[in-house]
Amino acid sequence: MRFDDSMDRDQAMGGGGSSANSSSDFVRKLYKMLEDPSYSQVVRWGDDGGSFVVLENERFTKSILPKHFKHSNFASFVRQLNKYDFHKVRHNNEETGHSPYGSGAWEFKHPEFKANNKDSLDNIRRKAPAPRKPPQVVDEAVPTQQMDLVNTQLVATQQQLQQLQQRYEELNIHNSILTQELIGVQKTVVNHEHVMQNVMNYLHSVDARQRRDSKIGGPFANAEENAASSANADPAQQQMSPLEDEPASPLQNASKLLHEMSADVQLNYKNLEHMSEVHNRNGTISTPPPDGRHPRAPTSAGSSSSMGYAKLHGEQDAVVYPVGQTNGIDPMYSEHIHNIPYPMPSKEEIVDPRVAAPAGRKKSTQVDPGWVRAPQILLVEDDQTCRRIGSKFLYSFRCAIDSAFDGLEAVNKMNAGSKYDLVLMDIIMPNLDGVSACHLIRQFDHTPIIAMTSNIRSDDISMYFQHGMNDVLPKPFTRDGLLNMLEKHLGHLKQIPDGMEPMAQHPGASITQGSGGHSLKDESSPTQSPSTISNWQSPGQFSGISPTQAAPPHQYMHPMHSGFGQEQSPVQYQPPHTEMGAPRQMQHRRQISEIGSDDISNDPKRQRMYDQANPMGMQPMTRPR
Amino acid sequence: MAESENGSMALPDFGDSIDALTFEQILEMDDDEEDREFSKSIVYGFFEQADATFKKMDSALKDNDLSALSSLGHFLKGSSATLGLTKVKDSCEKIQHYGQRKDVNGNPTHDNDARCLSLISDTVKVVKADYEEVERVLKRFYGDTGK
Repeated sequence: MRFDDSMDRDQAMGGGGSSANSSSDFVRKLYKMLEDPSYSQVVRWGDDGGSFVVLENERFTKSILPKHFKHSNFASFVRQLNKYDFHKVRHNNEETGHSPYGSGAWEFKHPEFKANNKDSLDNIRRKAPAPRKPPQVVDEAVPTQQMDLVNTQLVATQQQLQQLQQRYEELNIHNSILTQELIGVQKTVVNHEHVMQNVMNYLHSVDARQRRDSKIGGPFANAEENAASSANADPAQQQMSPLEDEPASPLQNASKLLHEMSADVQLNYKNLEHMSEVHNRNGTISTPPPDGRHPRAPTSAGSSSSMGYAKLHGEQDAVVYPVGQTNGIDPMYSEHIHNIPYPMPSKEEIVDPRVAAPAGRKKSTQVDPGWVRAPQILLVEDDQTCRRIGSKFLYSFRCAIDSAFDGLEAVNKMNAGSKYDLVLMDIIMPNLDGVSACHLIRQFDHTPIIAMTSNIRSDDISMYFQHGMNDVLPKPFTRDGLLNMLEKHLGHLKQIPDGMEPMAQHPGASITQGSGGHSLKDESSPTQSPSTISNWQSPGQFSGISPTQAAPPHQYMHPMHSGFGQEQSPVQYQPPHTEMGAPRQMQHRRQISEIGSDDISNDPKRQRMYDQANPMGMQPMTRPR
Repeated sequence: MAESENGSMALPDFGDSIDALTFEQILEMDDDEEDREFSKSIVYGFFEQADATFKKMDSALKDNDLSALSSLGHFLKGSSATLGLTKVKDSCEKIQHYGQRKDVNGNPTHDNDARCLSLISDTVKVVKADYEEVERVLKRFYGDTGK
């Protein structure tokens, strides 16, 4: 009876996937296999029933594995055992030196896996997958203390790496936003030009009329008109308009335009401000979250690349990474990361398998960002590999996915009335490319559209924005990058920011969730934004970052080269909302006007604009390699 | 005296032709690590895609069709990059560039078509070799000993 119940539970828990009740399927198969007496020469229960022994590895692999597990790979079988927290029993006894079952035997045990105790099988659950780790060699001779230290360092290093990665993605996104804002500002400038022209035209016409009227002028008008004509040279002429019989439509027109434009400016202003907030908040992510389970975990950023941030955030100065860059593991070099000679602390230290709630088990592959309802995502991608992987990731984030093979299909779907919360759009596709598709969709719909592409040069990106795209997700995309994008654009569909607190159980996952999870804490840190503001202008602060340009471990970091310069500009708008008044806007416009109108909407010249936008010598950061 | 030996039960070393981080995030999506249904179907789907693309590349080479070659390069670049097949991706990118009469880094060149075609022809050989290597590694990983 209990067994049946548990099967149901497994099925419910496995949720979604095609092989739903996988969690204890393996264990049950294993148990069944051991019940078969005809295998006893090859595989059987251990003498005390508390373990099982594979006596003949070869025969087991060739004849029994395929029957029960559909494969003939012993290593994979062992790996699977491992997943369920079975341990190989090793006989270290000095005298006998080998297993009582023979030297070639493999004995495995799990405290809940016993002969004649089927019920306890339910207690055997899959361990949460360990954080990514390279293959390691364990030197058993190293004193455990030293191992602990190394492990702690490794945890810290991996945290740093993850944070840096996340930070890169953020910067990337900010870069995109800024580009978008700049485009908005350019449009404003164009409008401004138009307004000026209108005003000028009107003034000219008024001027002409004045002269004519003053010659023809009736007895009524004469006095006033004469008075006015003397004031003609003065642009204060507008005063005159109510006196005219005809409506001063050019002037009205102009003021209307002017009005619209200032609204635009305010809108942009808010976006930028919001972005700087996000920026500040993210800045603090480089401080690893306090971690109760690893009180000794160094929270720090000592490697060369993170120094820049450490300086930005004064509070980190005091924290010293235990091992220097020269003899430590530099998270910026992938060779180091892939060859870390020590294992991560084993899973048991972090989460006791039996204490953890069963629901937590599959969590690291099933992230629930806490949506109010499943976001509807349209994935437009011609390549089936990318489409399937993208869909799978989205699915794991609890999204509802629709897909389109190319731009044309996407436009048709949306035109037919399908509503989405977000569109992920490849750029280069047959029939209709992503940019054109976006352009068409923008004629009737404003769903956020994210470009997914490996073409992320700044001129490409500005083109995407010009045609109405909202963001760029560089390819090849990562699962985390995708999640960040969703959280950024679908914030309105989320419940409570700390809805995923349970996730913090896994060190890896807690970092992934960083931007959402820690915002609350960070907002209460008053020193953060002022220090950012006071420091940003010094180019020296950023010199420490450039090494990352030299050896980017991931392609998607490339767009940063133009990002850094721009990244700084929002800080100008950083001061509180209340200062949003005229003086600031004036300053804003003055800067833009220096750019000169011919640069506007002229892609090749865009680069020049960036130069002006970052006059602090950031330009040396050109394309890496 | 029982001791855990599982600290190092990580995935096999895929060598430098596969980016472990990228590939592992796909493996993590497998519901069942026994049959690895999802990742396996993706990978085998990619094999088919690659075979078909190579055939198209061969015929485009015969037709001296640079733009077709460039878009075939782009196409395979996307899926190989998503799987973390670094070497294949790099070669595909080269083909994409050469097909647009650009150099390896994507800067325009004045090479004539014959030169571009010969560069592509060489790169297609390289990408096929790179591909065979990852195909072998991946098939072994999925316990596919046939062939």
